[in-house]
Amino acid sequence: MERDSSKSDENEKEEEFSDISLRPLDLSDVDDFMVWATDDRVSRFCRWNTYTSKEDAVNYIKNTVIPHPWFKAICIKNRPIGAISVIPNSGEDSCRGEIGYLVASKYWGQGIATKAVKMVASTIFSEWPNLERLEALVDVENPGSQRVLEKAGFQKEGVLRKYCIQKGSTRDMVVLSLLSTDPKL
Amino acid sequence: MERNSSHSDGKEGKEGFLEISLRPFDLSDVDDLMVWATDDRVSRICSVVTCTCREEAVKYIKDCVIPHPWYRAICIKNRPVGFIKVTPNSGGDRCRAELGYALATKYWGQGIATKAVKMVVSSIFSEWSHLERLEALVLVENPGSQRVLEKAGFQREAVLKKHLTHRGRTRDLVMYSLLSTDPKL
Repeated sequence: MERDSSKSDENEKEEEFSDISLRPLDLSDVDDFMVWATDDRVSRFCRWNTYTSKEDAVNYIKNTVIPHPWFKAICIKNRPIGAISVIPNSGEDSCRGEIGYLVASKYWGQGIATKAVKMVASTIFSEWPNLERLEALVDVENPGSQRVLEKAGFQKEGVLRKYCIQKGSTRDMVVLSLLSTDPKL
Repeated sequence: MERNSSHSDGKEGKEGFLEISLRPFDLSDVDDLMVWATDDRVSRICSVVTCTCREEAVKYIKDCVIPHPWYRAICIKNRPVGFIKVTPNSGGDRCRAELGYALATKYWGQGIATKAVKMVVSSIFSEWSHLERLEALVLVENPGSQRVLEKAGFQREAVLKKHLTHRGRTRDLVMYSLLSTDPKL
């Protein structure tokens, strides 16, 4: 799968989506990364636990972010205030990818996550021609994130009961999807 | 996790004049396995691994079936007429496992798959204490298998559109689940 290494798409989208841009996250962004990574309110519905050391953050950026097939910082004036990623699958599962995102809590409630999801939805299907389904799993107790996806055109398909363990308990997760053939909002 | 090495009998139904049992496969079952593994009517409606020759089937039993954490032959008079398997997950996903099964077409329509599923359901949650969710994904075009799960007490949760590729096309799958806390039918 191709890596988006050009910035031209983002410049175009910057006009359309005014304030935010997407770009790769690198080690020099670690302090901005720590702002959300150390925030319990952000980690609450994420699969990772709140970070307590900068070294852990550096290792995460080195080992997970930089080699990741599709991981971008969500930026305002080129400073990261969140992140968005798409995880591909292989073989008979390669038609689907899972989207995940977060925004530093200071920037909640301004439509930033929705903008970022729309930006990804508008390019990922042409970047990955095998992709037909973008899906997201959201904790049933995270309606804010469900709304982000619905505003971006995702359809709720159902609730998967006791689907996974997060923060020590089994969680019910809402599954939502956007197909390459769905209208982009 | 523990391996179910004991035989379990499906003698429950007085309705069931057809007594089934579950046991591990061994290499001597290869010819019986070939019956469903070479049948297009079976591979059309599920993701069963197909084999075109005996050598392939032997390799499949050796490399995939025997080492699998939970893979059983569904037997009538100790002869395999199908299989049923439970595939576990790890880490934050260890609370769920995926059920899969198939029967040789000669044995369709006699309640055998339903019996086999009920037998698994009655023991798997005590065998695997981490397990809280047993799930199964069925093609929307396979109402027979959907009924098997419903008769065994599974709940239909969602239709996952274009979830995977089967025989060259992306397919819609129905997600079913049974929780350790659900009533066993």
